[in-house]
Amino acid sequence: MIEIEARKEAASRTARLDAVFAALADPTRRAIIERLSRGEARVTEVAEPFHMSLAAVSKHIRVLEASGVVERHRKGRDHILSINTRSLDEVDGWIERTRCYWNERLDAMERLLRELKKNHKLGPKDRKRGSR
Amino acid sequence: MDRDERPGPIVQIRRRVRAGAEQIFDLWTKPDLMVRWMSPFPGAVHCKATCDPRPGGAFSLVMSSEESSREVSGTYVEVDRPRKLVFTWIGPLTNNVTTLVTVELNPRGDDETDLVLTHERLPTPAIHEGHTKGWGHILDHLADAVGSGG
Repeated sequence: MIEIEARKEAASRTARLDAVFAALADPTRRAIIERLSRGEARVTEVAEPFHMSLAAVSKHIRVLEASGVVERHRKGRDHILSINTRSLDEVDGWIERTRCYWNERLDAMERLLRELKKNHKLGPKDRKRGSR
Repeated sequence: MDRDERPGPIVQIRRRVRAGAEQIFDLWTKPDLMVRWMSPFPGAVHCKATCDPRPGGAFSLVMSSEESSREVSGTYVEVDRPRKLVFTWIGPLTNNVTTLVTVELNPRGDDETDLVLTHERLPTPAIHEGHTKGWGHILDHLADAVGSGG
């Protein structure tokens, strides 16, 4: 039972992450997030720097809201947008682990290259497989 | 300047490696060499590799100790020795979701090569720790993706 729950949890996390990545796939949406990362803002403020209609920007904002990356609340008559950092922490975690993984692997690859080079210097003729 | 339009956040690592592209390419595609650096488990863990480096060919890396065994596997998508290797990658790191790894090797002089590794198409984090590192990394990453844009 616990296993099934864990699997469901993992599946919904995958779906969430997919939605986040889809949302981040567009340069305009990434620029919106970049803007909001500096602080919450009104929809009109967010739309201002873009050379497109408010309706077009709103469409991007809706995609970001649907993915859970961006949240909207009201302050009087204004719609205020902010970032939901939790949705991005999962992405952040994956990026961090993956970067760390490959850096370690590439360190190991370079160590092996140095080892192979050293063996090579002993003289290709004398070289034995798996020496040392 | 190559500004690929990537589908989303990716992990990209660049390194200048003191070796020729051919030799580095061998490290990625010859099982007897793969086992000597690809396993993240040092020492006692036994590592076995198989690979068939051509488009559609498979590779696998099985790391086993007495208690447990882990496997990373995938399929080659592009094999352009010694410049480029693209393969799918499924394993514990990706929570067994398919991801894509691209290794590009650009020779710089006789015995140096710029290696660019790109890991993309993203999986679920296997562990969801409570820790929050905030925005640093993701924004660095987005900055890369967006470029200086202006």
